[in-house]
Amino acid sequence: MSSANTTTSDQDALLRAGIDRSLRHPVMFFLTSGAAWLAVSIVLGILASAKVHSPEFLAGCSWLTYGRVFPAHINALIYGWGFQAAFGVLIWMMARLSRKECTAAGMILAAGHIWNLGVSLGLVGILAGFGTGMPWMEFPAFAWPVLLFSYIAILVWSFIQFRVRPAGHVYISQWYFLAAMIWFPWIYITANTLLHCLPGHPVMANGINAWFKSGVIFLFFTPVALGTAYYLAPKVTGQPVHSYSLARVGFWSLALIAPWAGMQKLLGAPIPYFLPYVGAAATVLLFVPLITAALNILRTSMSSPETLAASPSLRFMIAGITGLVVLVVAGVVLNLPGSTLPLTQFSMSGYGFEILAIYGFFSFVMFGAVYFIVPRVTRREWLSRRLMKIHFLFSVYGILTVALIALFGGLQQGIGQEDWQQPWQSAATRAYPYAVATTIAWCFILFSNIFFFLHLALMWLRLGRRSSHPTLLVAAHDHHSASPHGEEGDIDNAGPGHMPAH
Amino acid sequence: MSKQNENPDLDESINVSEAHSSVVREAAACAREKRIVENGIAPVSLWAVVACGVVLLIAGGILGAGGNLFAYGSTYREGYVRTAPPGMADTGPVPKEALAAYMAKGAKIYSAKCNGCHGSDAKGNGSTFPTLVGSKWVLGETERFAMVILNGLQGPASTGNTYGVMPPQGIGMTPEDLAGIMTYVRNNFGNSVGDVVTTDMAKAAIETSAARKSAGNMVTAAELEAGHVKALAGEALDPKALLDPITLAPAKAP
Repeated sequence: MSSANTTTSDQDALLRAGIDRSLRHPVMFFLTSGAAWLAVSIVLGILASAKVHSPEFLAGCSWLTYGRVFPAHINALIYGWGFQAAFGVLIWMMARLSRKECTAAGMILAAGHIWNLGVSLGLVGILAGFGTGMPWMEFPAFAWPVLLFSYIAILVWSFIQFRVRPAGHVYISQWYFLAAMIWFPWIYITANTLLHCLPGHPVMANGINAWFKSGVIFLFFTPVALGTAYYLAPKVTGQPVHSYSLARVGFWSLALIAPWAGMQKLLGAPIPYFLPYVGAAATVLLFVPLITAALNILRTSMSSPETLAASPSLRFMIAGITGLVVLVVAGVVLNLPGSTLPLTQFSMSGYGFEILAIYGFFSFVMFGAVYFIVPRVTRREWLSRRLMKIHFLFSVYGILTVALIALFGGLQQGIGQEDWQQPWQSAATRAYPYAVATTIAWCFILFSNIFFFLHLALMWLRLGRRSSHPTLLVAAHDHHSASPHGEEGDIDNAGPGHMPAH
Repeated sequence: MSKQNENPDLDESINVSEAHSSVVREAAACAREKRIVENGIAPVSLWAVVACGVVLLIAGGILGAGGNLFAYGSTYREGYVRTAPPGMADTGPVPKEALAAYMAKGAKIYSAKCNGCHGSDAKGNGSTFPTLVGSKWVLGETERFAMVILNGLQGPASTGNTYGVMPPQGIGMTPEDLAGIMTYVRNNFGNSVGDVVTTDMAKAAIETSAARKSAGNMVTAAELEAGHVKALAGEALDPKALLDPITLAPAKAP
């Protein structure tokens, strides 16, 4: 081992540590406030879900009626948690991949506060009864320019870093991140302009709205999560990406197919006849880009079984990619215009599909990234293996229940709705047990995320372990392995930094 | 190594041992990271190709079922006549009470013909358009009211004030329309006469109007007071009698 080599790798590590330090405050701000919004959103989700099976629950308070709590729940989940988690991960990974320190941390932090203010005011607006009634765009109309402005102020620095990066090569994750960063303003400006500024026919407005929802999932959350997974899998395992050409196929087919999806929700509505069919075909076709990406990431991670067992980042990320596989199969099964689409069009299947996408796929990958990023930017190791396991298990059980129940309960509900000779009550009766189970499952997810938020908040306060040993899910095979909380014997020992990455 | 540590090479910008110790202290997590390698060249699994091929076929089938760009033929059936579903008796529309059935017809005519001037509250504007609420001619004898609607009005109205000229509304108006609008105005906006102007009465009104001496001209207050202060001929209808809301024919309770 030559000293020149050591110097290069030390310099390299110092450069990475410098990048991490430059982004500590914005990244921790986005992740922590995102986790707090996630908890708020889940509480609202429990209220909304409880009202589905027990309508008299809290019925006296107009602020907590279903028509307000449900949109508040889904908007807090998307704009409070989803986007902020994406911001935290995007700015950190783009800086790392461009090998550039962030010089605008203050600006990003300020824009992040504006984003949070916009989300808070928007949610108060929804709960006070000023929601717009457009799914996923329920914030009163003042909110969208605020969110758009802060979005640009947060992410433009990652573009600048990309422009001035030292090396010319562009890694797979950067394709996805750059695409997502451009696609979201495109769909957001299009949908908001067409619905708020230039309102046209209300039926077509519904179609634009359905397209926007699909776009948020498949043109923002999906590329962000795939880019993150393409970063984590080779980084944590140290193995090469399974197949570079498969990654290219996955990216370009996503770019070609995803913008067409969404309007299948208006099957049978008086809009140009081909639009719902194109939407259904595109949603089914999304199988191709997403299954290739999932396959690539899974094969890369599976090539190192030991890391897979030990690393919390990898475990969450793999769970998210498994969620993606379920999502794309459900996308094929639920969108057949001749048979299943009429059943799922107006039932809770749509909700199950969305929650599976946002929580079962996107959020799990984000959790994986959080477990990877936070020890680096805070220079403290995670406090407790047990908290991580609680977070993982309750989240998995909860999301499995929410998504599968909403998907299949939705089919049952759809069968009840389609049987027009029966009173409407029979559709509600069919959905009842599923609605009760959904409430219980959300309670599981709330339990898991309260622990996640506490763990993250402690890390933000820099109360994590001072150690050079990562907190892994299984104890390392040495004499320190007795403690369930990791290598506490190593606190601040400045020992050799050659443990496997996590 | 030890010699280098005692006399660090001045040409080197970084003191190796110092840098290394700072790395293990401050950047332990960064130091243990692995490098990303992306150029895997594993062949694509056959199963993935087959699965994607099946999905391509399904998607093609969906697009094929979509037909032409604007093919409304399968959602809109031309010449469609309402029929009973298989295995069910044709019960027809649910019967309504006479007053409600006539008023529902009249509401549509009102919003098409009257709303523009007299307003959605029928109060007019006080200067060019008179109010219909509490008007003597609206609430009083039905023939006088019918003549104003059918032929229009010039000169002073029921209060003696002269508003603008009311254009005739009778062109193309069926007895059903006239009966509906009269019943509607007489029983809405705070008016509540409570009776129904039937289609038979409206038919009589249209005949009377056509037989006027000055047919084709607007009526005046003088002409109305001279010959039209009477109820329209026709059998009165119990406002609570059940009617078919489409045809206004008597119907049996379901």
